[in-house]
Amino acid sequence: MTETTLAPPEVQAEAALFLAVEAELIDDRRYAEWLDVVADDFVYTVPVPVTPDSPFAPHHDPEALLLDESKESIRHLWFRRLEADMHEFAWGENPPPQFRHFVSNVRARETGEPDELLVRSNVLLMGRRQSDQPRYITAERFDTLRRTPAGLLLARRHAVLDQTVIDFPQPRVLL
Amino acid sequence: MADADSDVTVPRRVWADGDVHKRELARIFRTCWQFVAHDSEIPEPGDYVTRRIGRDSVIVTRDETGQVRVLLNTCRHRGVPLCRADRGNTSHFRCSYHGWTYANTGELRGVTFQRDVYGQGGIDKSELGLFQAARVDTVYGLVFATWDPEAPSLEDYLGPMRWYLHTVFGKFDHGLEAVGPPVRTMVRANWKPEGENLSGDGYHTFVTHQSAVELGLFASQDDLARMAAVAGPRFTGRTVHCGNGHTMRIQRMPLTVDAPAYFGYPREMWDEFDRNLSEAQREAQSCLSVGHGSIFPNMSFLENFKTNVDKQGDHARYIRVTLRYPLGPAMTEQLWFLLQPRHADPEWRRLSRLAYLRTNGPAGMFEVDDTENFVGITEAAAGDVAADLPIVLDGGRHHPPTPEEAGWPGDVADGDRTEKTIRAFHGRWQELMS
Ligand code: FES
Ligand SMILES: [Fe+2]
Repeated sequence: MTETTLAPPEVQAEAALFLAVEAELIDDRRYAEWLDVVADDFVYTVPVPVTPDSPFAPHHDPEALLLDESKESIRHLWFRRLEADMHEFAWGENPPPQFRHFVSNVRARETGEPDELLVRSNVLLMGRRQSDQPRYITAERFDTLRRTPAGLLLARRHAVLDQTVIDFPQPRVLL
Repeated sequence: MADADSDVTVPRRVWADGDVHKRELARIFRTCWQFVAHDSEIPEPGDYVTRRIGRDSVIVTRDETGQVRVLLNTCRHRGVPLCRADRGNTSHFRCSYHGWTYANTGELRGVTFQRDVYGQGGIDKSELGLFQAARVDTVYGLVFATWDPEAPSLEDYLGPMRWYLHTVFGKFDHGLEAVGPPVRTMVRANWKPEGENLSGDGYHTFVTHQSAVELGLFASQDDLARMAAVAGPRFTGRTVHCGNGHTMRIQRMPLTVDAPAYFGYPREMWDEFDRNLSEAQREAQSCLSVGHGSIFPNMSFLENFKTNVDKQGDHARYIRVTLRYPLGPAMTEQLWFLLQPRHADPEWRRLSRLAYLRTNGPAGMFEVDDTENFVGITEAAAGDVAADLPIVLDGGRHHPPTPEEAGWPGDVADGDRTEKTIRAFHGRWQELMS
């Protein structure tokens, strides 16, 4: 992720608002609307967390992935089964887990591509399974937002978890 | 060898009881051989990964002579762990408390201020090496260890299971490698429900994974027809108990083929499978739908085939190894390894990885649904009345033994939906616990 110049304040505000609304769509389970703010070539990746032996190494493996999804795989394998005609058999998500995103520290940068912004943000995600007490997981997200005639679209999300041993109702989450 | 078909009565308390958990640590996890690492994780001298055997933290390292060591991760002086990272490379471990230094053979090499602290004669360093596994051995790249000096050899412990491991792990010219470090997840369940399931539960598939069926992840008749002549509507299967609680289920796609066909693997690898497998083993691999099983107590493997995971019409296969640490009666840490043939075509490896991650990976759809069952079983078993109720384990008792001519070793039966392997798991468990 290249370090480039911070975007001007009005673009910062625009990016932060986009991420807040995007999170709202997931938390409200308005999946069709969420897919509308995601680019067709969207890629979602989460690397495998690891406790490194050196202060100079990251807390994740540089190559191995825990999640590697496309817009189509999320539409088909994540959301489709939650629709009314199939939800009964999505056993692990029935009753549905509840998620709530808290997005902060949004930093939008110009990339050199005129239509693209690189946006880093921190996310705290609450997950609740059934009547269990809520649990929390945090991550840093590296997103690419693309400016299109239809407005901003989420073109890429790479989320780096802050937990080596993942302790969350399900690791299959949109961070 | 526990007879898989003997009467086994299992009260539900085995999944939630604190005393049972403590007894398991002493009777099972201190004695049985257990999987600790894949040898590709520690290729060079000095490479190490930290793992657990039972609840004990261990360092799995390749020493300077190339020998794999499994060292208890606690200083012989006053107990500080030597390694805090998940992986790394070092020839020595230095304790952060008083600075005792150990070679990666486990030998105690240096004691700081020795004369000051322990007098002119010092301290007998030869007695104070890191405590280590009594035996360490590797089969098809899978590294196992046991604390028990009286344990049988790994070869004897596995018995006929080795033949089946060969079909999964031993058929590649250049072996397998772990793709990245294992993913680690905490599951609020006892370690056994998932162990039972992976031992060979073909019964739950079309219920628990019904949405996966409807979403096209299992080969449909159309998918099958694109591969070969379809022989019938039903997948067939065999389940086997190899003694010591080691079991496997092998499900076959209903296809008619002229020669062994290893669907899901790149065509150019089929010759090497033919070469590396015996005739009976080729039968176990040809038209394989899914093969999965367990090395008792807590390691399972899965060689699975999935369709339409990335694009319509694609299919791929992957090999997964999972390992369960019993951290408490209702708390399990699970490790997830993806193993891939070293020299497979990169595009195939990509598809195999996607197929794994999206279905049987730690964040895959199957696991969301399976895990809910295992957590639920554990929660329900915590009830006082529920704890005494036995479970039903009679499935598949009527399945006929597989004919001798098939050449499959162990106690094998023809039948895919069965509780044979679960009886075997609990039979072995009870033998060790009694
Ligand atoms: S505890 Fe390790 S040197 Fe003292
Ligand atoms: Fe399952």
